[in-house]
Amino acid sequence: MSVPQEKNDRELLRRYHHQGDVEARQRLIEQYLPLVRSLARRYSYRGEQLEDLVQVGCIGLIKAIDRFDVDRGVELTTYATPNIIGEIKRHFRDKGWAVRVPRGLQELNVRLSKLMEELTIQLERSPTIAELAKAADVEEEEVLEALETGQAYATLSLSAPSGGGEDGDDLDPLESLGEIEKEYEVSEDRAVLAPGWKVLDERERRILELRFFEGLTQSQIAQQVGISQMHVSRLIRRSLEKIREEIAVDASDLHPNA
Amino acid sequence: MSEAIILTVPYERPYQGVVRLVLGGLAARLDLPYETLEDVQLAVETILANEAYAVGEEVSLEVHIDGEFLAIAVGPLESGALTADLETADDEAGGVGLGLLLAATMGEHEVEARDGRGWLRMRKPLATGEATA
Repeated sequence: MSVPQEKNDRELLRRYHHQGDVEARQRLIEQYLPLVRSLARRYSYRGEQLEDLVQVGCIGLIKAIDRFDVDRGVELTTYATPNIIGEIKRHFRDKGWAVRVPRGLQELNVRLSKLMEELTIQLERSPTIAELAKAADVEEEEVLEALETGQAYATLSLSAPSGGGEDGDDLDPLESLGEIEKEYEVSEDRAVLAPGWKVLDERERRILELRFFEGLTQSQIAQQVGISQMHVSRLIRRSLEKIREEIAVDASDLHPNA
Repeated sequence: MSEAIILTVPYERPYQGVVRLVLGGLAARLDLPYETLEDVQLAVETILANEAYAVGEEVSLEVHIDGEFLAIAVGPLESGALTADLETADDEAGGVGLGLLLAATMGEHEVEARDGRGWLRMRKPLATGEATA
């Protein structure tokens, strides 16, 4: 952010917080609307209208402006960005997948996860769609649809803490059986170097390490970590999305009006 | 066997689901293991999710199967941004760079110029007898 812009923000924030000037508050909201829109756009593919998400993001922006401590040496952009993203994520989390995904498909998704485990052991390889359909006694199209809803859920649940019950743990009891036993030194070292790595928890780092740096397949990771292959898939996608978001937030901090 | 499937969709996030479903249908048709499907979907989604690669309103996916390989070309794309990301070190990319992700999920990949636009060509080896259609 440019120095004049920063000074202008501080002046408006002072006028609002110290003198109760609501017009200054309104000007700040208008000034930061492009930032809200830019952040909202990243989430608009999840089935929500962009304008609705902009409205939700604006609530985060207003909260940030209202709670901002003028005497602290932090820029409004730095403070507002996580507030806006947090409000949008909360919006999705509150809605959950039950809103849009039919219960039958949710249940089939859970069944497929278990069948995937059983068939992988039985066949000593990842099953095909046809094999899954046969085992679940459904059509191949239904398998594809259920797997797709699983992806939709994975995307919606980005904000959920891993292992916290919102990312599918509660849907798949098999996934809670194992524990990660390997050491984490390598992935911890990587966290020092790679900014995105820092937003991941230990399990997520370990899984990315195994998949991308050690070349293990999802089944092999599932076996090693003690969770289902489907959950490994969800965690990989979620971790990569978290890294992308972290990198994008860093970029937004540098270019708030982009 | 050699088959080609071409899909063109608007370069918008909601259409990623359509692409995933088409790839899923293809995997079912070819009897590919679920893991192979997952790899392909992740690679393609990663490209389609990045708005910086969009050069027009639409993006096409060309899939060729020749028995031993699954070849996928995605384009047209902004080759400058794509090439830059492929060359960015993993640490700078947040931990997993685009090149590493594509290498792990698809194997061979390169940016090809077609009519002045970039196309990402990826080639995934299939296990012996993996494609049975």
